[in-house]
Amino acid sequence: MTGLHARFRDRTAFAPRADYRLLPFRFIRLDDQRYVVTSDVGEHVVVSRDQLIAFARHELPVTGALYRELKAKHLVFDDDSRAALDLLAVKYRTRVAPVANLTGLHIFVVTLRCDHSCHYCQVSRQTEDKTRFDMARDHADKALALVFESPNPAIKIEFQGGEPLLNFGLVKHVVQEAERRNAVQRRDLQFVIASNLTHLDDEILNFAREHDIYFSTSLDGPEDLHNANRPLRGGNSYRAAVDGIARARAALGHEFVSALMTTTPASLPRVEDIIDEYVRLGFTSIFLRSLSPYGFAIRTRLIRGYDIADWLGFYQRGLAHILAVNRRGVQLREELTAIALQKMFAPLGSSYVDLQSPAGIAIGALVYNYNGKIYGSDEGRMLAEMGDDSFCLGSLDDRTFASVMTDDALQQILEDSLPESAPMCADCGFLPWCGADPTFHRATQNDIVGHKAFSAFCAKQMAVLRHLVTLLEDDPDARRVLMSWV
Amino acid sequence: MGPRAAGESGHELALVDNAIDLELDLRCYRLSAIKKAAYRFADRFTAVLGSPAQDRIAISLRFKSTVTEVAAREATRMFFQELLDQELREQIAAETDPIRTLILAHAFSNLDLIKREP
Repeated sequence: MTGLHARFRDRTAFAPRADYRLLPFRFIRLDDQRYVVTSDVGEHVVVSRDQLIAFARHELPVTGALYRELKAKHLVFDDDSRAALDLLAVKYRTRVAPVANLTGLHIFVVTLRCDHSCHYCQVSRQTEDKTRFDMARDHADKALALVFESPNPAIKIEFQGGEPLLNFGLVKHVVQEAERRNAVQRRDLQFVIASNLTHLDDEILNFAREHDIYFSTSLDGPEDLHNANRPLRGGNSYRAAVDGIARARAALGHEFVSALMTTTPASLPRVEDIIDEYVRLGFTSIFLRSLSPYGFAIRTRLIRGYDIADWLGFYQRGLAHILAVNRRGVQLREELTAIALQKMFAPLGSSYVDLQSPAGIAIGALVYNYNGKIYGSDEGRMLAEMGDDSFCLGSLDDRTFASVMTDDALQQILEDSLPESAPMCADCGFLPWCGADPTFHRATQNDIVGHKAFSAFCAKQMAVLRHLVTLLEDDPDARRVLMSWV
Repeated sequence: MGPRAAGESGHELALVDNAIDLELDLRCYRLSAIKKAAYRFADRFTAVLGSPAQDRIAISLRFKSTVTEVAAREATRMFFQELLDQELREQIAAETDPIRTLILAHAFSNLDLIKREP
């Protein structure tokens, strides 16, 4: 070989090498035929068992489409892709970086008073006249001090109850004081009031407009279902909610009002009605939430009204209906599904605090209860109302943000419940898309890790994720809609 | 030799006193894989493991008194599938755990976890 040709190596030098190395991955059975393989950063491939075995035994043809896909998703590397290790490290760091921001969501329980008597109430509300269940102004100020000690550049203050509008004076005070502090701090500050909207009036709406306050309300479906789930003494809860939604949208803007629903046994046969009600009222999002094992849902034994299999049937029918609604050109997304899809496909995953690893307790959200006690999650204070104070992180009277974050009990909960080291979770193919829920497992199994073979949380996650992957793989129409939610 | 039911001819699995007794070859399934599979099936049966001896281990799958023979056999069949999956997971972990440690070390190598005074 002479002249120009001598400058080039023979083309065989560029042929794919027959050997490759595995990068860390987990797998889980999707159905009788297929497996889901996931990387540590949540990228995935669906393969047959034969393909999985060939892949793991280094017997996969390196010229095939599957090998290229595995390589692109950092599940294998070879001499041509040594940069995969660097890229994977960067992706991993990107995915977990938000943990270092610490607490972004701060929940003020300004009162436990409420005019509703919902059967599933998770917070054990009190009747309207018991003002001893209101938060003191001194505690609100101490809570605000903690809020601004958090290093998170984005701070969301959420007012909860009971019904927070029954203590609107304190809501106003917290908003004004937070804005005063933020004039110096310059955080991305947002306010949300979780309200049944029964007590909405012009004064509240004017204040909300002046301070860009969002409203999150409860809407359980059509009037008869909503009112059966959410009794309002001497009133009509559905009419109050629907009227309040209209007034708040008119005063603040359409996007300033969102709604949440809770699934009761009465909801199970009516998922299509519930979804149609959300569409009729112009919502673009719905969260098909199952009952949580706290508060009145336990005391009234409502939670025994259905099991996880019943809820999954409800969810799958609901998702099918939502996809059909989207195909008609109406935008509506299901939030639990969207959270899972973000974990599957978005570089940062999802910021939803109830599905994080490490658990979102305290480092994702802090709750300042009406009595000055601090909790690491909304569910933690719900459990406390049932007599289990194991998620209490002390009192606003003697805590700083740093002392809460370095609390030995908190560190122990976070460490013990880390899915990456929990039995069954550690080698589960769905781990990158899942999270820890120590409060749920404490409530249901009296153990923050919980045995996942007996866990309704695990059963729900597994079934939802299997259903979603199956839709993404087997139904191109569904995939197109679902990917638009990422 | 692979799995077989103790006290039975061939590979038939018999439910006796709400239990199915097996003997597993530790050259096919390492002990850690057997334990993980047993843990995962704890909602269907309690697996009582004997002492390993000469590459074999006895394992008794104890079911609730309400179980039918059909359900017990099906759970046992699924258990063997899970054993294969767990054994494969162990093989993959043995090969990739050092790389995972390397990647995590690399991911956080530039992270300063201690806030220093300027």
